[in-house]
Amino acid sequence: MRVLLAVIHKEFLQVFRDRPMLAILFLVPFVQLFVFAYAVTNEVKHISLMVVDFDRSQESRKLIDHFVKTEQFDLKIVSDNVFRIRDEMKAWHVQAALVIPPDFSEKLVRKQRPQVGFIIDGVDGNAGIMALAYARGVLERFHAELLPTPQYASLLRQTHQAIVEDRMWFNPDLSSQQYMVPGIVVTILTIIPLMLTAMGIVKEKEIGTMEQLMVTPIRKWELILAKILPFLILAYVELSLVMAAGVLYFQIPMQGSYLLLALLSFIYLFAMLGMGIFVSTVTQTQQQAMFVAWFSMVVMLLLSGFFIPIANMPDVLQKITYLNPMRYFMSIIRDIFQKGSSLQHLWGDVLPMSTFCLLIFGFSIAKFQKRIQ
Amino acid sequence: MNKIVVETRDLVKQFGHFTAVDRVSLQIWQGEIFGFLGANGAGKTTFIRMLCGILQPTSGEAHVLGYDVGQESEQIKRHIGYVSQRFSLYPDLTVAENFDFFGGVYRMPRPLLEERKEMLLERFGLRPFAGMLTGKLPLGFKQRAALACALLHDPPLLFLDEPTSGVDPKARRHFWEEINRLAAEGKTLFVTTHYLEEAEYCNRIAIIDRGRIVAEGPPGALKQEFGSPTIQDVFVSIVSGGEEP
Amino acid sequence: MRFVRTKIQQMKGAVNPGRIRALAKKEFFHIIYDPRTLVVLFLLPLVQLIMLGYAMNLEIQHVDLAVVDYSNSRLSRKLTRAFAASPFFRPFVFEGGPEEIEDLFLRRKAQAALIIPHDFDRQMLRNPFGKVQIIVDAADPNAAGIIRSYCQRVIASFQPEAGAKRPWLVDLAGSIYFNPDLKSSYFFVPGIMALILMMISSLLTSVAIAREKEMGTMEQLLVSPVRAPEIIIGKVLPYIGFGLMDAGIILLVGMVLFGVPFQGSFLLLVLLTLLYVLVGLSLGIFISTLARTQQVAMMMANVATVLPVILLSGLIFPIASMPQLLQYLTYLIPAKYYLLIVRGILLKGSGLMHLWVPALFLGILALWFMGNAIRRFKMTVED
Repeated sequence: MRVLLAVIHKEFLQVFRDRPMLAILFLVPFVQLFVFAYAVTNEVKHISLMVVDFDRSQESRKLIDHFVKTEQFDLKIVSDNVFRIRDEMKAWHVQAALVIPPDFSEKLVRKQRPQVGFIIDGVDGNAGIMALAYARGVLERFHAELLPTPQYASLLRQTHQAIVEDRMWFNPDLSSQQYMVPGIVVTILTIIPLMLTAMGIVKEKEIGTMEQLMVTPIRKWELILAKILPFLILAYVELSLVMAAGVLYFQIPMQGSYLLLALLSFIYLFAMLGMGIFVSTVTQTQQQAMFVAWFSMVVMLLLSGFFIPIANMPDVLQKITYLNPMRYFMSIIRDIFQKGSSLQHLWGDVLPMSTFCLLIFGFSIAKFQKRIQ
Repeated sequence: MNKIVVETRDLVKQFGHFTAVDRVSLQIWQGEIFGFLGANGAGKTTFIRMLCGILQPTSGEAHVLGYDVGQESEQIKRHIGYVSQRFSLYPDLTVAENFDFFGGVYRMPRPLLEERKEMLLERFGLRPFAGMLTGKLPLGFKQRAALACALLHDPPLLFLDEPTSGVDPKARRHFWEEINRLAAEGKTLFVTTHYLEEAEYCNRIAIIDRGRIVAEGPPGALKQEFGSPTIQDVFVSIVSGGEEP
Repeated sequence: MRFVRTKIQQMKGAVNPGRIRALAKKEFFHIIYDPRTLVVLFLLPLVQLIMLGYAMNLEIQHVDLAVVDYSNSRLSRKLTRAFAASPFFRPFVFEGGPEEIEDLFLRRKAQAALIIPHDFDRQMLRNPFGKVQIIVDAADPNAAGIIRSYCQRVIASFQPEAGAKRPWLVDLAGSIYFNPDLKSSYFFVPGIMALILMMISSLLTSVAIAREKEMGTMEQLLVSPVRAPEIIIGKVLPYIGFGLMDAGIILLVGMVLFGVPFQGSFLLLVLLTLLYVLVGLSLGIFISTLARTQQVAMMMANVATVLPVILLSGLIFPIASMPQLLQYLTYLIPAKYYLLIVRGILLKGSGLMHLWVPALFLGILALWFMGNAIRRFKMTVED
């Protein structure tokens, strides 16, 4: 106990003496939080649109109006030259183009189903698909406006329509922040323990104090505990700060139990701290430790369902995600925040996560030796 | 009455294809100042690390204070002090804080720690620097602080790896005076150095070249054996004398 | 003109190519002997590439749909079949009521629910509009939006009589330019090139310079006849080499494995890539003057260079969707312009006439950051 206290005391002294590091440690998560929360979004808005209207009739203007009215499209260029479209896209001036043929209004009035062209810049595939879906949506609204009018109402009389009333649960505003901020919590709980533990241990290796420490009768568990305890505490402090910012400023709903969150974070943190220790055993310099930790984090992040839903990944990758503790923690966190899920709902994730966390931690401890090389 | 504190038999350390320590057999007696001489890269640090129990030997045997370095390294660590070649106190902690830390790690009871801390600060002239970050100490004082720290728990055996590198001759002389004082107190000191003239200060020396012991014995005897006036000459004649690697 | 010439003379006199070569060689070996960093530098982007290339597809499929059918009539069953016929949905009949739907969502047994009222048959045949309700698990808002629109489509085209068609006036003919299969790899290969170039040219160099300072060897270099600009150029040269090689490998893998095209001018790409690397280097040098230790340099570089590239450059997340303030911030991010350039050249065959605006911005950033970096470095060296 005496030894443990001495080592923890030393670690804290060192952490608090490193002013620039401390500033970064407390600033960076906030910067990340704000930037992530605002920048990270799968929504596609303000698609720059070019319109080539050969018809120039009242009807075509009405159609264009429907496109312009929405937040989804921003009308940027109106032209009468179809060949300009490619060039404007090459120069990244527009992402989509609407082409209205000269006989649009004529055919429309005669109920002959005119065709309008919608061209999308396929480079950003996701935005392209969304743009097309939005365009279809705009067309629906165009129909919703036109069909009931006396001119076309006869069509309606012959058919029956089902309409749908929809309810969005847990996130009625479809706010992407609500979805992303919990994910940011996960990244913070990953990067801090992983990178800092790894770099901290390797730094001692690099400057030679680790060797001095190994020569003393300090026991392995005392050394490890002393190295991970400060970062465990730090992670919790940052967690609280980030959550406070999330709940108070971003008004992210926190439906679930704080206690459950703290408990499950504890399990996850141990895995990350363990990984930090593991990284420190396979690297010799701080730079290496940093890169290896960074690499691991990126791989875990890509396979966690943060950016890309796991269901959309190819089968092979989906299977690999089962080995990733972040995958489980990500969905646990999201469910606790947004749905208020309790332990009974989360068992399917908690069990594998805890197993992996224990395995990782145990393995890393076993690998760490009070010896050189 | 003199017992053997360190004994190695055909100790070998290989790193891949490179043999750093090649079948070294030595005995070190209590109260000796044993000098381990050799060029940089000859294997001195590797040898010390094995004796301290922080590097596993590839083959051979070694016992320190009766304990086996392979199996009982943790026991060894309780009774030795180690000053490494590189300065390895915490540069971002003060001298006093380093003492407190290592004292805690060696499980010294508070009053004993305080007593020894005071004594050592005094003895090594570190009093005015007690509150200074060790990283900011002048080089000579860094070495002193490291040595003082190694003596905190009063170990009977001390390993000193190149303790005088980069230190001016006057400070070096002070240092060796201190070593002698420690030996007089009954401590055994294993010192490596590449300053060959320091061999004169040791009771016995061994010269290591490319992992092998090429000479061993009291400095006087070696000088006689090789007919050389100084240990430097002994070294030169052995090492450049077409020795097989 | 004469001013420019004397400046060039000054610069030539200031640097000795022989010394630079020696320094560059030393740095080169430093890097080579650090296999772990190298491995990560080459492996990481490849892994990212493979994952993003194969995985980044946002098509929703096989959505578990709980059908609560109070009507249990011919028409309601026909509606259910319409959902089953769609590849997007996997409907299953759910015996419970709306209250139990939340539990379904919590236990992730369903992502959406369709509730058909008991008088659905009567409503559909009598009124022109029959009403149904859908409930979507909107915890993932993007998926929810897509699910909602798919539901609406199925429902909108549902007709009670066989063969009847919903009334429709205007058809939409969609076409795709530049990436007809909408392959995500086309989008991400340039992004990863931009990321890795920035990582190497700024993150790695700032850490390397900081390490030299931390170890004290910087001091030794400075007291030797080596001059400050030589130190920097010598140190930085191998990283440029590695960066370009790494980016080249990414591009090659992209082209061979994913079929990423190369529509535009190779020369233009190389020139503008060098410009981008220059910006990255300036940032790295600048950061190294601010940090005393490697750890701090690393964290600073991450925040100032790597993170913005990932989040704010348009690599993954569209800039147009961000709030105005952040959009203004993106004007300072070199990767934003570089991405427009690379994606333009590779995928669209854009030429300088299309890309002169981002190229100009990149040039301005290069001058600005370089000037500041040199000024700061001189300052820290001179004290």
